[in-house]
Amino acid sequence: MLELRSIHKTWEPRRGERRPLLNGVELRVASGQTVAILGASGCGKSTLLKIVAGLEAPDSGTVWMDGQDITRMPPEQRHFALMFQDFALFPHLTVQDNVAFGLVEQGIRKAQARSQAVEMLRRFGMEAFALSRVWQLSGGEQQRVALARALITRPRVLLLDEPFSALDAELRVHLREEFRQHITAHGMATLWVTHDEAEARAVAQVGWRLEQGVLQALWGA
Amino acid sequence: MRQGAAPLALAGLPLAFLLVVLVAPAVRLVAEGWPTDGHSLQALWAPWQDDYLRWRMVWSFLQALLTCAAALVLGLPLAWVLARLEFRGRSLVLRALMLPFVVPTLVAALGVLTLMGPHGVLVQLGGPDLQGTAWLLLYGNLFFNLCVVVRAGTDALEQVSASRLAAARTLGASPWRAFWRVEWPAIAPWLMSALCLVFLYCFAGFGLALVLGGQRYATVEVEIYTLVAHELQLGQAGVLALWMLMLTALVAWGYAAIERQLATPGRADRQPRQRPQGAGHWLLLVVALGVFMLICALPLVAIAWKAIISGAFLSSGEHAAWRVLLEEDTRMALWNTLRFSFSAVVLATVLGLAHALAARRSLALRTLVFLPFLVSPVMVAFGLLLLYPSWTGNALLLVCAYALLAYPFVAKSVASALDSMPLYYLQAARSLGASPWRAFWRVTLPLLAPALRRGVAFAAATAVGEFAVSLFLSRPEWATLTTLIYQHLGRPGAANLDAAMVLACLLMALTMGTFALIEWRGSREPDHA
Repeated sequence: MLELRSIHKTWEPRRGERRPLLNGVELRVASGQTVAILGASGCGKSTLLKIVAGLEAPDSGTVWMDGQDITRMPPEQRHFALMFQDFALFPHLTVQDNVAFGLVEQGIRKAQARSQAVEMLRRFGMEAFALSRVWQLSGGEQQRVALARALITRPRVLLLDEPFSALDAELRVHLREEFRQHITAHGMATLWVTHDEAEARAVAQVGWRLEQGVLQALWGA
Repeated sequence: MRQGAAPLALAGLPLAFLLVVLVAPAVRLVAEGWPTDGHSLQALWAPWQDDYLRWRMVWSFLQALLTCAAALVLGLPLAWVLARLEFRGRSLVLRALMLPFVVPTLVAALGVLTLMGPHGVLVQLGGPDLQGTAWLLLYGNLFFNLCVVVRAGTDALEQVSASRLAAARTLGASPWRAFWRVEWPAIAPWLMSALCLVFLYCFAGFGLALVLGGQRYATVEVEIYTLVAHELQLGQAGVLALWMLMLTALVAWGYAAIERQLATPGRADRQPRQRPQGAGHWLLLVVALGVFMLICALPLVAIAWKAIISGAFLSSGEHAAWRVLLEEDTRMALWNTLRFSFSAVVLATVLGLAHALAARRSLALRTLVFLPFLVSPVMVAFGLLLLYPSWTGNALLLVCAYALLAYPFVAKSVASALDSMPLYYLQAARSLGASPWRAFWRVTLPLLAPALRRGVAFAAATAVGEFAVSLFLSRPEWATLTTLIYQHLGRPGAANLDAAMVLACLLMALTMGTFALIEWRGSREPDHA
């Protein structure tokens, strides 16, 4: 169970001026559950995800995972996976090495990590691209690789930041169903940030809207 | 997240180096020229009261100003052609524009002499002998600096938003009016920034002015060298150095102020390049390429041609000039050039990388990268001589001076790559389980590799072709290829001139070969997807 307790965060639009961005956010995401957070651009959704991932620290409040306070835990020790809006695939690595990246960090030998990566890519229908470079892939293909990379380490929590914002409408509908199936199969707690309510309702059991720094229940809560 | 103390620790290395090799010698230099008693205040103004020295100061300023004006007038059309027109050979021209950054000063000076000197191509074609006139130095300055303006102009024009241009055209502006009302205001700050650099390079120029300026058109830097090396008048040289430091600092301040405004490049919708259409485009293309050939390519072609001709035939009556390559002095100079340059490049790479990484979050540190560009090699060498006289017998001093001049190229290149690297790569690596050090090793460093290679390539070219510091600090047993060329130029007779040409060709091949060897792999790699 992932828990956010009274998360506060301010931002500094100009030197010496601070404005509240997150104002006491409380949230629970159970294992196997997908929770969507909706909100307008700049409302703090991505910041919230980065706080959960450990890439930013809250001004106050705590992040808990399975009863343990992980607020000050470095991101690499949390065993979470964050999927970025712009995919964040590493351009200097092949597709299979991108997917294998997290396994190598877990101490698995490169050859074994690569073979696991190819197996993962097969599940996404992407094994033919294993040795390609990421810039040779289309947007949808890059998105699949990014999800494969996120899932391969079997993270405790999957964080998705506007995963389909860079794709066209038809591909979004197709991919979100595919993503939903993969995520359900892996059964981890998933926090899905989007500004598209139709997308959120299609994938998440619980929906919240982030507005003026606080979460308001939309459905399932 | 916590950024840690690592960047600050990294900054310690380049800061300590700058302090010991640049700041302390510069302070010592200022102390040498600073008045110490009542009468000496007058000594501070002496350069402006003496006709000879005043002319040196005024001419240094004037030739820099004239070069700026000519570079702007000739460079802007070429930049526009490269940014807006698509034509066969465009990428070749863009690559060739890097050559003047790589070619050593002495090689360029010999190229200019081959074209316009007493026995040059121009004279052989029935034209005037321009030896002893200001044209030689101005032409040499343009060879080195036209590319600075053209590259800045091309980059700036590519940043101009296509939709703004389209809006101007739909609102009734002709292409010419659209250029002046939309493109020019957008690119002017970039051009001003480039012109500040051109001014600094020319104002503090040494090698070209030493070989091409002659008695009348040499610059203050040459005068300082003469006072120190030939007349042993350190006090007077110190006063001149003080004035140079003050004036370059003033221009550098202007440059920094402009650069700061340029620090946030926009992601513009680029105006697509088009094939030349109509007589106007074709005329502009021909003129621009003509300017490029005349100023950037001709001196290099001339020196290669002259070296082949004078090298292959028995011009001195006994030996072909190519024989100079087999002489013991040449082998020694080549070995010295290679070992000093290699040591300096290793040091410059470590310093540059550390400085760029440390400067990522510090504007002050970032500004300090430019410091070695602002103090001329002559000043650096003079300051080192004054501050560390007992170290002049140690080659480490020479290597440190080389590294000081070379490492800003590495730091600047890596810093730019760091700026353009999206933060999410690092965040993705961290969220996938990589520690900060592992994320640096597996993601940041490989992504920086092309920029690092490019910076190292420029640093290597700078070290191999270095002249001013070598001339100041070098001992007979440390002669490098540049100082050997200068020795041959100082000896009478056509055979020595021919030998200098052949050695210049060797130096040119060495710098270009080194540059290509390091940079070539990087140029094949695509930008971040």
